[in-house]
Amino acid sequence: MEFTLSKEQLLIQKMAQEFCAKHLEPVAEQIDRDNKIPAEIIKGLSELDLFGLPFKEEYGGADAGYDCYVLAMEQLGKVSSGPAITISVNCLGLGAIDKFGTPAQKSKYMPKACRGEHLASFAFTEPGTGSDPKQITTRAVKEGDHYILNGTKRFISNADYPGPMVAFAMDDESSKPTAFIVDKFCEGYSISEPWHKIGYRGGNLLDVYLKDVKVPAENVLGKMGGGFPVLTYGIAFGKVGISSVALGGILAAYEAAVKYAKEKTHRGEPIAKFQAVQLRIADLAMKYEACRWLTYRLGCLANNAKDPMLFAKEAAVTKTYVCETFVDAARIAIDVHGSYGLMNDYLVTRLYRDAILGPQVEGVADMQKMIIAGVVLNG
Amino acid sequence: MNIVVAMKQIPDLQQIRIRNRKPILDDVALTFGNIDKNALEAGVQLKEATGSNLIVVSVGTEALEDTIKEALAAGADEAYLVLDDEIGDMESSSSARLIAEAIKKIDDVGIILFGEGSGDNYSGQVGSRVAAILGLPQAGYAKSININGNIATVTRSLEDCEEVLEAELPIVVSVIADINEPRIPSVTQILKAGRKPKEMLELDVTGDSMLETISNLAPEMQRKQIEIETIEKLLKVLENEGLLRR
Ligand SMILES: Cc1cc2nc3c(=O)[nH]c(=O)nc-3n(C[C@H](O)[C@H](O)[C@H](O)COP(=O)(O)OP(=O)(O)OC[C@H]3O[C@@H](n4cnc5c(N)ncnc54)[C@H](O)[C@@H]3O)c2cc1C
Repeated sequence: MEFTLSKEQLLIQKMAQEFCAKHLEPVAEQIDRDNKIPAEIIKGLSELDLFGLPFKEEYGGADAGYDCYVLAMEQLGKVSSGPAITISVNCLGLGAIDKFGTPAQKSKYMPKACRGEHLASFAFTEPGTGSDPKQITTRAVKEGDHYILNGTKRFISNADYPGPMVAFAMDDESSKPTAFIVDKFCEGYSISEPWHKIGYRGGNLLDVYLKDVKVPAENVLGKMGGGFPVLTYGIAFGKVGISSVALGGILAAYEAAVKYAKEKTHRGEPIAKFQAVQLRIADLAMKYEACRWLTYRLGCLANNAKDPMLFAKEAAVTKTYVCETFVDAARIAIDVHGSYGLMNDYLVTRLYRDAILGPQVEGVADMQKMIIAGVVLNG
Repeated sequence: MNIVVAMKQIPDLQQIRIRNRKPILDDVALTFGNIDKNALEAGVQLKEATGSNLIVVSVGTEALEDTIKEALAAGADEAYLVLDDEIGDMESSSSARLIAEAIKKIDDVGIILFGEGSGDNYSGQVGSRVAAILGLPQAGYAKSININGNIATVTRSLEDCEEVLEAELPIVVSVIADINEPRIPSVTQILKAGRKPKEMLELDVTGDSMLETISNLAPEMQRKQIEIETIEKLLKVLENEGLLRR
């Protein structure tokens, strides 16, 4: 068992840290305020090969594996969740294409999105459900060598950027969900205004309207009626990203609490001398370490995942635990700050707003626990 | 033409913990000093401008074999290394001798770059010593370097003036931090670094003089505990601290 990082892993971690310190940190508040990522940040992230970090070089990726992906995403998530979540969703969409796509689909859709010139989306949620594939109402009807898609997708990340969207629809042949690769902004594709959400700001969320969208038959991802494995296995890889972003948030909360505890004084001495504050710092240290190794492990598992169900379970364990712990950690960091922690001038308010989203996205925490229990009890 | 950059492996200063005023160096990752990274970036820019080959030379413990990937990721094409676990705190004269010997093994050297001082000892001697051993002209405190044909033009940043020098290649130049902003290597560059060529040199390090550290204490930092009753006093204090009206 090895718990040390290789030189390459350390350098990738450091590279992300340096980018954050030099370029992202100075605009992090602006991203949160304006709900928009400056174009130069997207360009900078792309120059460092961060949009396609885990994917093979032949499809435009950096071939660094999910272990290095976790390390870079943790650093981005620590400083600004918006760009981090944008990359995470890009890798979710690309991950599904990478795992289930044909070589032609991969060559067509992956390289540009790996370079950040396009961004991938993954569209499952609808106004009626975000948890239950059987309730999907988007329809795909075969017409010659095409499928015609109609429906509304809700809360779709990156829907305002061009690129591939892995969209789930009930097809009239199998009466089961099927995954299709839709070119965003093709004829019949339109989007709403961005939702005004409380956290992960900058990572845009929109509704997508598909009106008689013509998708060529070669854009079916996986098999007809095979949407369910694309959804569960694809989203399991997405959870590597979302867990890493939350892990970065925990680290930020931990560091903010330590800094404040050392700086804020009572009767001339830092509040870190109070045992109550010390216990909170210890709690944050324990939570960060536990989540760190759980997330790093998930990155390593993702590199060698063989049994999809087992990997889906490990991803659910990590995502649920880390995202729920981020909520606790942000709350503890606020407690260390007292009322100052409720003021927007302090980072911990943003962290709390970010933290509260995690348990709801890419499968609500309750559904994750059902996945975990299902594998534990039924194998 | 070959451009040579000499870089020293040091503990990552950001990771050093201080306990009872003593720096704890165990488990601290190794890296290169910041000014050495400026020297490397200057080398990369000259390489891009002149289409040269960039070689990094370094003398250090066996861990250097791993640390050197950082320089190879940041734009060096190959590395010449002198590795020996006995090389601890080597005195500047010894490091200079080994670096000069390593450089002698490289053909067609046009320019040899150093940081003005290493990130740990900051003795600032090695560049000048190497120039003396190799019998080459040297320019220190460089804030810009241009190469045109066989001529290097170096702008030196001195205390109250700038000096522009011209010299025929080969030349030794040591740079200051202001010379550039080192670029951040991409994931692909980092992953390819380990595959770039490394030349391991067997040089005799026995008999080289070592530094003995007698005491190494962190400066004591104390809160100033200044009580401020009025805005006027606040302004005065900030001014005295050099934080206002600089
Ligand atoms: C920032 C952000 C980004 C997002 N990005 C995307 C995206 O890119 N693509 C996308 O498709 N979606 C995206 N979503 C949507 C998100 O994934 C869904 O909102 C989420 O999966 C939950 O769906 P829902 O809101 O419809 O809740 P519901 O499915 O209605 O669930 C509500 C509650 O009901 C309970 N529940 C539901 N079904 C069951 C059941 N079968 N058994 C037991 N309990 C149940 C759960 O406890 C849950 O808490 C995003 C959301 C956010 C906030």
